[in-house]
Amino acid sequence: MLQTRNNTAIRLIFMFLSGLMLLFIIAPLLGLFFSTSIPGLFETLRDRQVTSSIGLTLSVSSLFTLLSGIFALPLAYLMARKDFRGKAIVQGLIDIPIVLPHSAAGIAVLGLISRDSALGRFAELLGINLVGSPFAIGVAMAFVSVPFLINAARDGFLAVPERLEQAARSLGASPFKVFLHISLPLAKHSIITGLVMMFARGMSEFGAVVIVAYHPMTTPVLIFDRFNSFGLNYARPVAVLFIIICIVVFIALRLLGKKKNGG
Amino acid sequence: MLSCKFLEYRVGDFSLSDFSLELDKGDYCAMLGPSGSGKTVILELIAGLRLLKKGSVLINGVDYTYTPPQQRPVGILFQDYALFPHMTVYENIAWPLKIRKIHKSVIGTAVSGFAEELEISRLLGRMPGSLSGGEKQRVALARTLVIHPLVLLLDEPLSALDAPLRDNSIALLGKLSKKGITILHVTHDPSEVDLLANRRIFIGPEL
Repeated sequence: MLQTRNNTAIRLIFMFLSGLMLLFIIAPLLGLFFSTSIPGLFETLRDRQVTSSIGLTLSVSSLFTLLSGIFALPLAYLMARKDFRGKAIVQGLIDIPIVLPHSAAGIAVLGLISRDSALGRFAELLGINLVGSPFAIGVAMAFVSVPFLINAARDGFLAVPERLEQAARSLGASPFKVFLHISLPLAKHSIITGLVMMFARGMSEFGAVVIVAYHPMTTPVLIFDRFNSFGLNYARPVAVLFIIICIVVFIALRLLGKKKNGG
Repeated sequence: MLSCKFLEYRVGDFSLSDFSLELDKGDYCAMLGPSGSGKTVILELIAGLRLLKKGSVLINGVDYTYTPPQQRPVGILFQDYALFPHMTVYENIAWPLKIRKIHKSVIGTAVSGFAEELEISRLLGRMPGSLSGGEKQRVALARTLVIHPLVLLLDEPLSALDAPLRDNSIALLGKLSKKGITILHVTHDPSEVDLLANRRIFIGPEL
């Protein structure tokens, strides 16, 4: 009897705390949505600066997510399958962008692409200034978000039984074919999750992006710019619109991933 | 035919030293020994899935000691069958031929042939997850046999099967053996190879 009463009390406490946690997440978003008028939202949709910033944000984030995949997936596979000296250090390196303050990450990326760097000088020889370019935005987005892809893909590869890869080798496949035909498809769900997380994290990045490229403006930078220059009412519809787009894209990609996995 | 000379290997606490084995074409050799005695490791060394520390593996006089697994004329049937879960039965059997860039029609004929022989034609459209143990074993065998290995390595092939399925599998393995393929069958249960093996070796824990 006492046991049942205890269980009920614990369940109620947990439900109450969980409710507060969810409210904490939902309340600011609801507040934002309710304080934005529908006509204001439509007007924002017609604002060229807003639409081009959204286009820039989505396209750069998706392009650099896919480009990063070319390098991140082999690294994730090595981290899952190989034991080597210094592996813990490499894992630490992979996780560094997650723990860095994003403004510091921006400064680091700026050091990589500024005119003083080898890459910056090389680009300058070709007549390109990397700072303030979509390339800079993409590098900053990728820098802060690529650990999500690497770690998710690594976990995916870890979940693929090594036995299947050995069977594939014994059936005549080279290591690359094993990776392509066996490991990659079987880790697909985690890889898609990682890509979605990287894309979402990249497109919402502000701190690092604003340091390497204030212009052209990504949407998070535009929201900050409007808030800073014109105040909350002017920034709010852009924020609402961007949140809606983020949620729609996030759900769409998740559904796509599930559909491809037959789930 | 299959000649393993003074194989030496070490991993963790396990070590194998001076292991030698000579099999003739068509031999059916049972490798017996308790769990943890290193039987599976020996199969993996012959298949090239583990790198030998010392010794050599020769098949038909050709030295395959340093040849990667995909270039050895060896097929291995794993204890858990290791079917690719994201492919249908047909795709599993066809896969070794597909990666060799063999024409689709040739692949189709080969798959149908082996499926018929192993009585799994009705399973070709199924996914491995929906198969019974015995069915999985036949599919894995068909997938291994399509590459026409000279040596077939079987790792506890009957351990996961119920009694009636075991009898079927024993009959099937006997049929394969009569075709002249050299078979090395690892098991901890001597009774399952009574009707099959013409050679027996015992792997003791002292190895």
